[in-house]
Amino acid sequence: MSVSYKPVIWNRTKMIYDAVLLAGIGIYILVFLKAGPLLSAALRDVDVPTQRMRAFGSLALLMLTVVLAIGPLARIDTRFIPLLYNRRHFGVMTAIVAATHAYYVLGWYFSYSPTPQLTALFTSNSSFTSIAGFPFELFGVFALIILAVLAVTSHDFWLSFLTPPLWKAFHMSVYFAYAAIILHVALGALLDRRDLALALLLVGGLALLSTLHLIAGRREVGADAAASAKAPEEPWIVVGDLSEIAEGRAIIGASPGGERIAVFRSKGGLSAVSNVCSHQNGPIGEGKVVIGFITCPWHGYQYRLEDGCSPPPFRERIRKYRVQLRGSTVLVDPEPLPLGTKLEPFPIPAEMRAVSASAAKQGEA
Amino acid sequence: MQRRHRRAHAGIWTGLGVALPLLLAIIFASAPKLAPDAPAIRLDAKTTGGQP
Repeated sequence: MSVSYKPVIWNRTKMIYDAVLLAGIGIYILVFLKAGPLLSAALRDVDVPTQRMRAFGSLALLMLTVVLAIGPLARIDTRFIPLLYNRRHFGVMTAIVAATHAYYVLGWYFSYSPTPQLTALFTSNSSFTSIAGFPFELFGVFALIILAVLAVTSHDFWLSFLTPPLWKAFHMSVYFAYAAIILHVALGALLDRRDLALALLLVGGLALLSTLHLIAGRREVGADAAASAKAPEEPWIVVGDLSEIAEGRAIIGASPGGERIAVFRSKGGLSAVSNVCSHQNGPIGEGKVVIGFITCPWHGYQYRLEDGCSPPPFRERIRKYRVQLRGSTVLVDPEPLPLGTKLEPFPIPAEMRAVSASAAKQGEA
Repeated sequence: MQRRHRRAHAGIWTGLGVALPLLLAIIFASAPKLAPDAPAIRLDAKTTGGQP
């Protein structure tokens, strides 16, 4: 949460995440440089700077593939949500690894160039009319610029400055960086040396990412359609049954317009809020109530049950919705209340609390 | 916002999932190949298949 701008808070979980990430990078580079030449004649026959170039280049492709898989994986299976927690650091590390690859390339191929290195990079290959001979370097430069800009603007200051919707839309340009890297690798390393491992990483990664993103997207569309049943008391919608909501947790419905609504159950009351966290659009309904606050599962942003506002001094707000019970059926008015509107949780009748709580527990077990 | 974001995601990944494999196929299909009557002894060793 932020007052207007708040620096990133370091905590133990983030430090462990980063330590594992750094260790993984170190191990990959060491294994590539030490074991690679023993396993592959293609690496044995090249000089050390070229080996380094390939080590950092292939690692950048692998890291970008992994970082792009985290989002859909977390949507498909909640066990992957912890990977989202510090995904921005993963992205920044990827940009650094890609920049290291570029540094070795410039230093090796253009060290003795009579023209400046960057000029030589952009002018040494001008086969723009050839497909196989197209200057693949340009795709790499394009991707590196996007990764660098995204890394620089990944800080919470920029999230606050640009506002979350704009920031999220801007950071979706990473997909175009990925497309450029696919073309960079295919036109460069793969055409040059038919490397099976690299081809598998490239083609397999692309197939995996496309499949994961499309599966996650289809599930979201399905969830929208399944949760939009209209109640007899229109425009209210049926979100589910009270017995489906465990204490401190939520069920998620969708308004006819597709906006998700989370209904939390806490201390004998029901509260309906937007399912979209105002920080990074995280799925709030997959989080839980922690010490009386709705807590987003992605980055821990918190909101009060009664008005959807973060506790002072923080300023984030999410919309609230009216909620009621018809028997044990949970109904929500899909028309959101103005931001900051105070609406006390809807009290669950005493006779229903024990029955539905035990049903929810059985459902969990 | 959430719905537009999801639609943009689905659109981008459908586009990438179709366009990138096509582009890869075109790139590899257009890779230069040795002519059938190319001389057996070549200076670029990787295409000679172990010539003396």
